[in-house]
Amino acid sequence: MPPLAAQRAPGSTDTEAALIARAQAGDAGAFERLSGAYADRLFMLLLRLLGDRGEAEDVAQEVMLRAWRAIARFRGQSSYFTWLYRIAVNEANRALEKRGRRPAAAPLGPDELQLPAPAAEDPARQAENSELRRALGRALAGLPPALRTAIVLRDVEGLSTQQAAEIAGVSQAAFKSRLHQARLRVRAAIGDQTLVTAGG
Amino acid sequence: MPSRSDDHRWSQQHLSHYVEGDLGPRARRRLDDHALDCVDCGRGIRAMRALVYAAQGLDGLAGVRAPATIFDRVRPAGAGGGSPSSPNT
Repeated sequence: MPPLAAQRAPGSTDTEAALIARAQAGDAGAFERLSGAYADRLFMLLLRLLGDRGEAEDVAQEVMLRAWRAIARFRGQSSYFTWLYRIAVNEANRALEKRGRRPAAAPLGPDELQLPAPAAEDPARQAENSELRRALGRALAGLPPALRTAIVLRDVEGLSTQQAAEIAGVSQAAFKSRLHQARLRVRAAIGDQTLVTAGG
Repeated sequence: MPSRSDDHRWSQQHLSHYVEGDLGPRARRRLDDHALDCVDCGRGIRAMRALVYAAQGLDGLAGVRAPATIFDRVRPAGAGGGSPSSPNT
């Protein structure tokens, strides 16, 4: 997966650096264009971490407000996307702690997210893949937030270990440890037979 | 020299490291050698690869849009003078 910044530029005429400078000077429109380029992906991340659409919408608004208030202190030591994602992960974890619970037990699957059905050659294969996605969603929902964050950032989002660790706010070694723990737990929850059968 | 049961426990705990490429040559060889004769660990490697592949397939950016309200808390702040805090604050 290419870096997110390469997937969608914030605007056709303004560079990201120019939008950051304008936003830091108080231009809310520039901030919206800058952050809006990442809004869909950020919202998807929050859905995965929180498991609840309403809560994800609330936290997404809070993330944008916190980013807006803090943008004057953004120094470009990381990419803007990394900085914004880190705020999102912090806010998601804060929301989970505040409510004193794990992510919703009911996983958000393709149906709940209204995703288009994946292309598949035969119905049996499609059913196996669909079942695996549901099982994976349930297993992710049962993970503690730190482990869930690790597997979502690295495997679901496809970020590099360096970038994911930076977003999670831990060293790469600590991040790897979380990732491996998360995968072992998910594997145990789903079962090898289901994974191997559906994974082909 | 570790016993077969030691190798098995160790291999089961390091399947993610194996798939991720995080094992050094010696550790990788240890797991490879064990998995040759261990049905569970051979299947575990395939399962871990399938898990990572399936997780990558969960990325549904194309189907999800952020709510139109995502900047609602920014707009009144911007309009009402609540501009970003000044640098070095």
